[in-house]
Amino acid sequence: MFEFLFKYPPAMFAKGKFVLLAPWPVWTLFLLLIAVAGGLFWFQRQRRSLLSNSRATIIWLVQTALIALLLLMLWHPALSVARLRPQQNVVAVLVDHSRSMGIADDGKPRLQNAEDLLNNQLIPDLSKRFQVRLYEFGRDAVRVDQAKNLVANDNATRIGDSLKHIAAEAGTMPLGAIVLLSDGGDNTGGIDRDAISQLRQLRVPVHTIGFGPDHFNKDIEIVDASVPARALPQSRVTARVAFRQHGFAGAKVKLTVRENGNPIAQQLVDLKPDAEQSETILFNTGEAGAHTFQVGIEPIEGEQNVQNNYVVRLVNVDKKKMRVLYMEGEPRWEFKFIRRAMEDDPSIELATLLRTTQNKNYVQGAEHDKFLQDGFPSKPQDLFQYDGLIIGSSEANYFSNAQQQMIRDFADKRGGGVLFLAGRFALSDGGYANTPMAEMMPLHLTAEKSFSRDFASVSLTDAGRESAICRIEDDAQKNLARWQKMPQVANYAVMGAPKPGAVVLMNVAEQGHRPTPLLAVQNYGRGRVGVFATSGSWRWKMLQDHTDKTHAIFWQQLMRWMVTETPGEVSSSTPRQVLPDDTNVPLRVSVRDKSYDTVSGAAVTTTISRPDGGSDTVELKPDPLEPGTYTGSYSADKPGTYIAETTARQDKTTFGDDAITFRREDGVAENFGAAQNKDLLEKLSNDTGGNYYTPSSAKRLPSEVAVSEAGITAHDNLDLWDMPILFLLVILIRGGEWLLRRKWGVV
Amino acid sequence: MQPDFSATTDYEDGNTPDNTTPCHSSRQNMFIEHSCYSDRHTRNMRFRIATLAVLLACGFSALYAFQAHFRQYTGEEENPAPVPSDADERTEWTFARLRYPSGRYAGYSSEVGSWPTDFPKADRQFLAGVRRLTRIHTRSAEQVIDLVGDPNEIFNWPWVYAVEVGHWDLTEAQCKLLREYLARGGFLMVDDFHGTFEWEVFTQSMSRIFPDRQIVEIPDADPIFHTVYDLETRVQVPGLQYLYSGRVYEKDGKVPHWRGIYDDDGRVMVAMCFNQDDGDAWEHADNPQYETKYTSQAYRLGINYVIYSMTH
Repeated sequence: MFEFLFKYPPAMFAKGKFVLLAPWPVWTLFLLLIAVAGGLFWFQRQRRSLLSNSRATIIWLVQTALIALLLLMLWHPALSVARLRPQQNVVAVLVDHSRSMGIADDGKPRLQNAEDLLNNQLIPDLSKRFQVRLYEFGRDAVRVDQAKNLVANDNATRIGDSLKHIAAEAGTMPLGAIVLLSDGGDNTGGIDRDAISQLRQLRVPVHTIGFGPDHFNKDIEIVDASVPARALPQSRVTARVAFRQHGFAGAKVKLTVRENGNPIAQQLVDLKPDAEQSETILFNTGEAGAHTFQVGIEPIEGEQNVQNNYVVRLVNVDKKKMRVLYMEGEPRWEFKFIRRAMEDDPSIELATLLRTTQNKNYVQGAEHDKFLQDGFPSKPQDLFQYDGLIIGSSEANYFSNAQQQMIRDFADKRGGGVLFLAGRFALSDGGYANTPMAEMMPLHLTAEKSFSRDFASVSLTDAGRESAICRIEDDAQKNLARWQKMPQVANYAVMGAPKPGAVVLMNVAEQGHRPTPLLAVQNYGRGRVGVFATSGSWRWKMLQDHTDKTHAIFWQQLMRWMVTETPGEVSSSTPRQVLPDDTNVPLRVSVRDKSYDTVSGAAVTTTISRPDGGSDTVELKPDPLEPGTYTGSYSADKPGTYIAETTARQDKTTFGDDAITFRREDGVAENFGAAQNKDLLEKLSNDTGGNYYTPSSAKRLPSEVAVSEAGITAHDNLDLWDMPILFLLVILIRGGEWLLRRKWGVV
Repeated sequence: MQPDFSATTDYEDGNTPDNTTPCHSSRQNMFIEHSCYSDRHTRNMRFRIATLAVLLACGFSALYAFQAHFRQYTGEEENPAPVPSDADERTEWTFARLRYPSGRYAGYSSEVGSWPTDFPKADRQFLAGVRRLTRIHTRSAEQVIDLVGDPNEIFNWPWVYAVEVGHWDLTEAQCKLLREYLARGGFLMVDDFHGTFEWEVFTQSMSRIFPDRQIVEIPDADPIFHTVYDLETRVQVPGLQYLYSGRVYEKDGKVPHWRGIYDDDGRVMVAMCFNQDDGDAWEHADNPQYETKYTSQAYRLGINYVIYSMTH
């Protein structure tokens, strides 16, 4: 209909430029229009006695519009477009032959539908005007002679890489346009800007034809699952699982974590009407070693695709013993019960320094750290050998300026975890405001002293209910019920509002008062900082049966949060621990000295143990932009789990070592995103100046593909004065005037 | 009204309130029948009233849960002292004295029992030392933990002191309570009991608190003797009677013992100062005739024990 009225397809108008081809300047058109309008106005005024002012004005406007339209047509309007010269340009046609194109949505595989469309329509039509080069693509684009007997067997879809391949060939041929037939299931997470910018530079539009439904009618698919990369043995960790569903709103499903096929954590989840949903599930990591977990949702009856219900995630459970230093400024019950709680945790060694008298310190758990006999460490290399730091009721001015800065650097530079407790010499009461320590806290300090020894009740926030720190019971409902019966804390400090990025896990409220934050955490620099605004949680131990382990579990989990991700002097990482049908493994290593200053010029070597038992060595190179960082890459050719152990040395100094694991998976990527990714295809075409088509609307493509500024083009001026719409408007305007006059009785 | 501790010991023998006495139904025994009924009715009423009182107390406790406030025990103070101005201040720690029944072993202390020996002067004198010599936040007045009147309050005080335990006579319920208290992390210091007989009285209750644990000598190297002060060398701290008798021991308790009961992790839960009287040393610290060396050790030992209980 559009083309009938407007003579040309919408793509022409989208790409073309409106011009006036008459030899007279445009300003004469406006001048003439004004003169005509003025004449008509005077004429109307002469005949005013027949019509009221308003009606006369309306008639004048209608007549002026008709004259304006006629004058416009007289000025020869046209559409200036660049069009590919026939038979002088190449159109590259890319057909996706990845495994997802083998899905038979309507009884016929998508690839078969694409073949039929190409052979029956597109290629014959395109071939009339262009040279057609045909490619099949998955990981990369490969030239094929014809669109026959293509097989959907590629394990991955990399649209960006394939387009880059074609763009590279554009230098050797006049490439006018690219036509991409695909379901859009790109496995790299999107098309990189590099590919898009190359095509834009060449001005080559990508026209996309999407196959497959944009969502399955009945399907649950895991979008992503994030778990910590590292953990301590027997840690309770959180898996955040994002998934989408179609056709199952309101159903109850089992969110599950499996290891070796056995469920280790499971919870029922109600599927919401919204397409995408996010839930958390807690599970135990088990003993030390590299663990592979399957995280996802148990398939339910009627699902069209059950291959996308689980994803694999790795957790490296390190048997390393983490060390925490607890500095306490006065003897307190909290100190005793924290020590007792941590005695049962084999993964954490708690060293304590207690000021028993004005000039005496009592050191426990750190018999080899002689520097503690003199009090709180004054050298970074002494303090930074710990992984976590707890500051109790100790006046801020007990610490020198340098020590205060060092406490901040402990989190910021060293990457450790710091926890501040409340007390009569802590937080606001201890003069911490306006110190470097206040700046690192997740909560603002109040202006006045706020420590109170009144008993108060605690409650979990929404974030606290989902946090592994506050999870005493595996079941979320039981956990909440347990917290609701928790004995009151013996004291608390009123804290200010949380800072941006802070997460409040627990509130406290004395009877008759409004709740204030009690436990809040945040990431800070390379580390993390928490405030637990009480020193009265010992009542959770003394006021419950001696077999109750609430207090111990809470403190162990809080301390594990503090130290689990604390890096060593050598810290290695890779962006993705699980590589679905991908081989490239970027490696990144940070090397620091004992003061956690960056080390340049170190020899950093990674030894990678392959699943087949062999090993490879990668020498990492310094990153020029980031001192102390070394990068490299590795190609994981075979599926399986790899272990990468990195050491860093400089002359005779060994800075330490670190190990990470990653896993290459084959044949899984195509199971996800199997529905048509229409958004990606539309965006690709929009970004490059192309159009998106469905298989049914693709018949427009051969005529619209000619509109392009790439290849060998000619600029054409397409007449618009003879558009049927203009004649229709003339008739409508004139007819409308007649009807009005008739209605008002002047005809 | 003074508590009737003797009544509580009846239950120890397994005797229960007699509510099963048969009542005769014949007319001749109407009086007896009426008496039986009255007794039963009265006991039932008392039970209901007591239950209601407990429920109300629980309700109030739930609504206004707080650490018990300072309370005077006028009439039971053996050595009265002025009440300090900060008596009601809430602090991290204070001297928590156990108020226990003496029962069969009340002896000279009659109905009051032996729990208030040296009370409250010793407590407040010791507190003055703690305030001066440590960084512990404490007030100047003690807190009495009443095992009879408000037994569950003990869980708010992880350190308690009991004196003259050679005269204590705990009920089964009180033994069970103390066992639970100590198992949760509480610490009990007992002091001022001497000789064989008082040891046996002490262990008669102690063995019901921990029938499965041995009482052992605390070795000199134990951290409890080194938390603040190093106390490998210790003397027998006598009671005030030393000024009159010239003997540092009482009864047949010639040899001082520092004994304890340990938990499964090697921590002292109960510390016993047997054949010595630290309470008197605190109480008479201001007595110029009482020797400084005894006072000094008593303070150091007490402070070590308190700090130990707050660090282990």
